[in-house]
Amino acid sequence: MSTRGAGPDAGSDAGREPGRLARLLAPDQAWSLREALARPAMLGFALLTASYLRVLVHVTDVVGGTGALVAEVVVVLLVGAALASRVDARTALLGTGAVLVGGLLGYYSAIPASQRALIDLGVVLRDLFALLSGLSVFRLIQAEIWALAVLPAPLFGSWLLALRGEFPLSAAVGGSALGLFVLTGDAGFLTTLTGVVGAALAVALGELAPRRALAARWDTVVLVLTLMVVLSTTVSLVPGGDARPMLAGTGQPTLEGNVVANGDSVGIVGAIRLSPEVRFTVQSEREGYWRVGAYDRYTGGSWVRTGEARAYDGSLDPPPGGSITVEQTITAETTLNSMPALWKPVGVSGNVERATQVTAENGLRAVASISPGESYSVTSRRPVYTRRDLREAGTDYPAPIRERYLGLPDSTPDRVGERTAAIADRANATTPYGTAVAVEQYLESTKSYSLNVERPRGNVADAFLFEMDAGYCTYYATTMAVMLRTQGIPARMATGYTPGERVGEDEWVVRGLNAHAWVEVYFPETGWVTFDPTPSAAREETSESRVSQAREAGESGVDTGRSGSGEWTPTPAPTPEPTEGQDSTNGSTETPDLADIAEGRRTAAPGDVGTFSPGGSENDGDPSLPTPEEVGYGLVILLGGVAAGRRIGLDTRLYRFVWLRYQPRTDPVADVERAYDRVETLLAAKNRPRRPNETVGAYLDAIRATDSRVRTVAALYERAHHGGDADEAAADEAVDAADALVAASTPLLGRLR
Amino acid sequence: MSPDDPRSDGGDAAVDPGGDASPPTFEPLSVDAAGDLIEDVVDNVERVIVGKREAVEHIVVAVLAGGHVLLEDVPGTGKTMLARSVATSVDASFRRVQFTPDLLPADVTGVNVYNQKTQEFEFQPGPVFANVVLADEINRAPPKTQSALLEAMEERQVTVDGDTRPLPEPFAVIATQNDVETGRTYELPMAEIDRFAKKLRLGYPESDQEAEIIGRTAGHHPIEELAPVTDGHALRRARETVAEVRLGEPVRNYISRLAEYTRNHAQLGVSPRGSIALARTAQVRALLAGREYVTPDDVQAEAPTVLSHRIRPRTGSETGDDVVSAALSSVAVE
Repeated sequence: MSTRGAGPDAGSDAGREPGRLARLLAPDQAWSLREALARPAMLGFALLTASYLRVLVHVTDVVGGTGALVAEVVVVLLVGAALASRVDARTALLGTGAVLVGGLLGYYSAIPASQRALIDLGVVLRDLFALLSGLSVFRLIQAEIWALAVLPAPLFGSWLLALRGEFPLSAAVGGSALGLFVLTGDAGFLTTLTGVVGAALAVALGELAPRRALAARWDTVVLVLTLMVVLSTTVSLVPGGDARPMLAGTGQPTLEGNVVANGDSVGIVGAIRLSPEVRFTVQSEREGYWRVGAYDRYTGGSWVRTGEARAYDGSLDPPPGGSITVEQTITAETTLNSMPALWKPVGVSGNVERATQVTAENGLRAVASISPGESYSVTSRRPVYTRRDLREAGTDYPAPIRERYLGLPDSTPDRVGERTAAIADRANATTPYGTAVAVEQYLESTKSYSLNVERPRGNVADAFLFEMDAGYCTYYATTMAVMLRTQGIPARMATGYTPGERVGEDEWVVRGLNAHAWVEVYFPETGWVTFDPTPSAAREETSESRVSQAREAGESGVDTGRSGSGEWTPTPAPTPEPTEGQDSTNGSTETPDLADIAEGRRTAAPGDVGTFSPGGSENDGDPSLPTPEEVGYGLVILLGGVAAGRRIGLDTRLYRFVWLRYQPRTDPVADVERAYDRVETLLAAKNRPRRPNETVGAYLDAIRATDSRVRTVAALYERAHHGGDADEAAADEAVDAADALVAASTPLLGRLR
Repeated sequence: MSPDDPRSDGGDAAVDPGGDASPPTFEPLSVDAAGDLIEDVVDNVERVIVGKREAVEHIVVAVLAGGHVLLEDVPGTGKTMLARSVATSVDASFRRVQFTPDLLPADVTGVNVYNQKTQEFEFQPGPVFANVVLADEINRAPPKTQSALLEAMEERQVTVDGDTRPLPEPFAVIATQNDVETGRTYELPMAEIDRFAKKLRLGYPESDQEAEIIGRTAGHHPIEELAPVTDGHALRRARETVAEVRLGEPVRNYISRLAEYTRNHAQLGVSPRGSIALARTAQVRALLAGREYVTPDDVQAEAPTVLSHRIRPRTGSETGDDVVSAALSSVAVE
C-alpha cells in the first residue's frame, strides 16, 4: 500500500476509498425480484405479516380508518422492493431500527402539546412496559397514530430480509411484531396461530430451500406444524390474554367474571354462566345499580376503556345537573376486585381510600383487592332529572364527550344506523332521549334473554341486531350503545351489579349473578343517564332459578346470615329506576309497538323468555354447519394425519398392499416382470429381501425357495427380462402363479378362496 | 454378412478369420446342441484331467469365446496335459512351444528358408500355426519373443518378411506361467496380460484325486486313448451360436457397472477389452446352462477368471481377485 501510495495508482486508491458506501448501495446483480417472490418461504412471510397487519388493521378500523394504514403498507412494500437489491441483512436490520426510532419519534410528536408536556423518558418507558404487560393498544388514546408509527419498522425489516432470502431473520423481525401484539393481548388466538405457523413455515421453507430437500422433508414440516396447531388449540401454557386455546375445556366464563372484573376491557364472549355466590352487601338509603365501570371504545368484539386511571385525591366532581346525595356502605363477602357504587361517586372513605383510583370515565377502582369482611363507604350524587329535562337537553355535547363517546369502527355496517333511524322514526322520536327510549324498547321487545348464545363472528352489535334472536345483557347493552352512537348520541357501556336481594329496609345482598351491563347516555346539563335494554323480568327469573338451584344443591356462599330467609319481601322491583317518579326507561306510553319494525323477525313478548333454564341448550334444534375454524382445524388434522402416516411409512404400506394384489396387464414382458416383482416382494416379507448384488437364481437358492410356482415365475422372469422373450401365455402363467402365491400368503383372503 | 459383422466383433479383433474377402459362413448350431457340445468336450477332457472340471469348463468356454488362457501355477500340475486333451477332444492340431530365454521370435512364428531346388524362399511355419498352441513358461522368454506370440494371439495372423499369413481357425493359445522361479523371468506387462481372456490356476489335486491320477497313469497314459468328440467344423458352428446368444440391456449395464467399479477401486481397472471378454464368455456360459440369453449369473460365474488379472490393486496386500469379489458384492444386478 505504502509503495503504491503515489503516482498513477493514487487515483484508483482515491476511487476505492468512498467505495464502501458505493458498494453498500450498488445493486446486487445476481438478485431478482421475481426469483425472490417465487420462493416458497414467501408464503410463510405472507402469513406472518398478515397476522400482525390484521391486528393493526383492526386497531385503525376501530379508531379511525384503515385508509392511511393500507397506503402506508403499500409504500413500505414498494420501497422495500426497490431497496432489496442494494442491501444486505445487516443494513436491513440497521434500517429497521432507524425506522422504528423514527416512527416512535413521530408518534410522540403527534401527541397534543398539552399532553406532551407531561411526557418524559420515564413515561415513555412506563408506556412500553405497560404495553408489554398486557395493555391493549386500544387503550392508547392516539391508537391510530401509534399504529401508523410502529408498523413500518417490522414490515420494512421483515420484507427486506425475506426478499434477500434471510427467512429466519425475517421471521424474527415479523415475529417480534406479532409478539408485541400477543403481549398487549390484541392478537387473538387464530391471529397468533396464523402468525406462528407463518413464521415456522418461513423458516422451514427458507432453510429447506433446494426443492429436493423440501420434497424429501415436507412430511416433517407438516407434522411439526400440525402438532403446533393441535397442541396450541388444546393446551395452554400461558393463561390469560386473548390468545387462549380455541378448544380448551368446556368451562364457560361467569357473567360476573366477564363483565365486572373491572379490567380495562370487556371482551364479548359466547355462552356464559351465573355464579350464585354472595359478593357483597350494601347498606344504602336507596337502591340502584351498583356501578363498577364504563367503557368508551368499541372494537366490534369488545369494549375498551381508553386513558389512564389517576389516584383518588379526596373528592370528585358532582354531575352537572341536579342531584341528591346517597351514602352507601359496602361490605365485601368474598374478595372484591372492584368498588361497586351508585353513580355518580363523589367521595370515598374507609380503609380503601388510599388504594382508590379514579378511572378515565370517573368510576372508582381499587388498586388492591378488598378482602372479605372489609368495608368502605361511598358518597354518591345521584342525578335528578325529569323526562322533560332529558327531552329538552338538546345535542350541545361538550367536545371531550363528542371525541370519546361517538366513535365506531369504520367497518360497522351502515344497516345498523339505518335500522336505528327507522326505529326512531317509527317512534316519532325527534330527540336523543326519544331515540334512546325507542331503541331500548325495541331491543327489550324483539330479543329473548339467554345466557347460552354462540359468540357471533364480526361486529357483535350488528350480529345481535340482525342475526341473533337472543342474548344477555352485554349483547343488549353493546347493541344499544352502538345504535345510539350511529345517531350521534354519546353512549357507553356500563357494568356493575343490579341491586340484588333486598334483605332489609336499607340492606341488599348482591351475588355474582347480579353482575350486569347496561347503557349510559349523555345528556347535556344532566350528565350520564342509565338505560337498560335487557328484559328485566326474564333476567331476574333466570337469576332466581339459579339461586334456588344453588340452594338446593347446597352450594356454599349462596346466602349470608340474612338473605334467603324471607325477612324482607318482596324481592326488588323489576326495573330499578334512577329517579323516583321519572319513569323514563320503562314507560311505553310514548313508544308504539316497535316489534313490527323487525321485518319477519320472531318477536318475543317479555313473558315468553322465561323458558330458559340455566345449563340448558337453546339452539340444539338446527344442525349447524361447521364453522370455518372447525373446517380449517379438520383440514390441519387431516394433513397432519397424512404426514404422520407418511412418517411411519403407512403410505408405502398401503401402496404395497394394493400393488401386491392388483396387477393391470400391459405387454407380456412387463407383465412377467411385474409378476416376479410381486412374488419377490412376498418372499422378501417371508424370508429376507434379495440383496442388490444377488442374482435371482442365487437368491432363490439362498432362501431355499422350493415352491414350483416361485421357480416358474422366476424362470419366466429371467427369460422375459434378460432374453426379452415373453408371450401372452407366459404372461398369463406368471400372473396366475403370482396371484395364487399372493392369495396363499394373505391370512384371511387366502382361506376364503 | 459383411466382414465387419458386429457379431464377430466380440472377442479380440475385427479381423476376418479366414482372411478372404468372402469368408465361409457356418450354420449356427441350436442352443441345446451347442450346450451339449461343450458338455461333451468337458466330459471328454475330464477322462484325462481328474477333479478339475471347473478349470476345464473355463478353458473350453474361453476357446469357444475366441479367447486365450493364461495358466499360472507350479510345474507338474497337468497344464500341458490339459491343453493337449482339449486339442485332442476337438480334433484340432496341437503344438507346444517351450519358452526359454534364448527363444527367438522366429522360433515361434516361423522363418523363410531358401530352397536350393526351387531357388526360392519357402516359408517354414512356426509352432504358432496350430489350432491349439501351448506356450509353456511364457515368462521365461525375452519380451521380444513374448510379443511375437501375443501379436499373433491378437491379430490371428503372422507377418514374416512382409508377408502376412493367417493363422488357422479355431486358434487358441494356452500359455502357462511358472510363478515359483521369479529369477531369470520376464514378467508379462499388463498390456499383454490383458490379451488373455482368462487367467486360471489349476492348483494341486485333492489327495484322493491324486491317488486316482496315479492309478490312471500307471499303465498307458489315458491321453493316448483319448478320441475326439467333435471337430473344427462343429466348433465353428458352435461359435456362431455363441454370437447369437442374447445379451440384454440389464446385463450389459451390469457388466459396465462392474468394470466401472474396478476402475474406481483399483489403481488400474478393467479395460473395455476386459468388459467385452466378460460379455463374450458370459454368452458361452449361458449356452452351457442351456439358455439362449445371458443372465447376471453367467456374468458372476465368469467375472473372477476374466477380470482379476486385468486389475492392478491399490495396495500390495490386495489382489485382483479381492477387487473383483468386492465389485460382485457391491454392484447391484438388475
